[in-house]
Amino acid sequence: MLLLMPDAPDTNALLIRIAQGDKPALADLFALESARLIGIALRIVRRRDLAEEVVQETFVAAWRKADQFDPAQGHGRAWLTTIARNRALNLLRDGSRMEYHDADVLADMGDRLGDAMAAFESLADRDALKHCLNLLDEPRRRAILLCYVTGLNHGEAAATMNAPLGTVKAWIRRGTIALQECLS
Amino acid sequence: MTPDQLAEIGDYVLDLLDGPERAAFEARLASDPALAAAVSRVQQQFQALDDTATPQPASPAVWQSIERALDAPPLATATVIPLRRRLPQAAWLGLMAASVAVALGVGYFTGASTGTARQPLMVAVLLNESDNGPGAIVEAYADDTVRLLPLENFVVPEGQVMQVWTLPDADTGPVSLGTLTDRGAMTLAGPDLPLPATGQLYEITLEPAPGSPTGRPTGPILVKGFAKPPAI
Repeated sequence: MLLLMPDAPDTNALLIRIAQGDKPALADLFALESARLIGIALRIVRRRDLAEEVVQETFVAAWRKADQFDPAQGHGRAWLTTIARNRALNLLRDGSRMEYHDADVLADMGDRLGDAMAAFESLADRDALKHCLNLLDEPRRRAILLCYVTGLNHGEAAATMNAPLGTVKAWIRRGTIALQECLS
Repeated sequence: MTPDQLAEIGDYVLDLLDGPERAAFEARLASDPALAAAVSRVQQQFQALDDTATPQPASPAVWQSIERALDAPPLATATVIPLRRRLPQAAWLGLMAASVAVALGVGYFTGASTGTARQPLMVAVLLNESDNGPGAIVEAYADDTVRLLPLENFVVPEGQVMQVWTLPDADTGPVSLGTLTDRGAMTLAGPDLPLPATGQLYEITLEPAPGSPTGRPTGPILVKGFAKPPAI
């Protein structure tokens, strides 16, 4: 599928205007980024209403914190993605809001492994991350993708992969070390 | 980078560090530009995976709720706890470290001289939900009181209050420790609870005045963090 990839400078320019209290710039940013961020949040929180809540909070936070965004430190798109990911992960870990206490319950919510592997398959072949993930043993690759793409923790990844917790921790540890050595 | 450092960066990017570990790692990030650069590089490489998510158009209600939230009273008319002005992240962390050091130092000193120190059993640094910056410090005492030290200007829209919660255990569920309606209410006398334990969750949510109608958190979480005992 062809993804619309906005140029990073556009997002940066919008955030600079938002920091000055420019509401139409926030509406433009929402038009540009909200659908992508809902897609990201949905793979983590698994419910449409919660993914929309994540994105709503993300844009309110962007409005309030745009003055903390420093274009010299990176792209606005990455800044916004990090806010949305943190919101989604916090919601997933917020036991008072969701029935996510139990690793088995969580692991059962939708096809997380399928989503994680689909994300990997959709990476462009020339992408360094895809190349380096490809060099990992299958279990290490799966464990890392489950945690990053769908937000699982060690215990939940172990339940999903039906593997002992210690083994999954070792897969992730060795996998992320090898991955960074390959990427650097 | 040693394998241990690479593994820790990996755990951070995969969000596998627990509350206290994460706070400690972020404190190091703020003071170690080489580590921050390494983390940022790995984060950006992993974001290629985020870009594979299928875009899902937002329902119109989402933008409407954002607009409503923006129309909340601006800073000037809202209830604000004016402990300090907004500072850059590195300065916050320095201030936080200094506050903890001072609080603990005073407790230790008094304890040594009189034997009746009022030393917290547990301290929790509550992190901001959006950027994981430190937003408040909670000190929990053996007599069920809690002292709260905000590190940020929280904007409280009219008709709402900040409510402080803790989660003694999953069966009990979240318990209210009290609400913050004015700048003086910094020490809260909570209900009779078991002694606070390592890893216990503390959080502050925004609730309709005079407090959550259900007795459980209903509003957005402003900050949250996990308790750790002081090292002295």
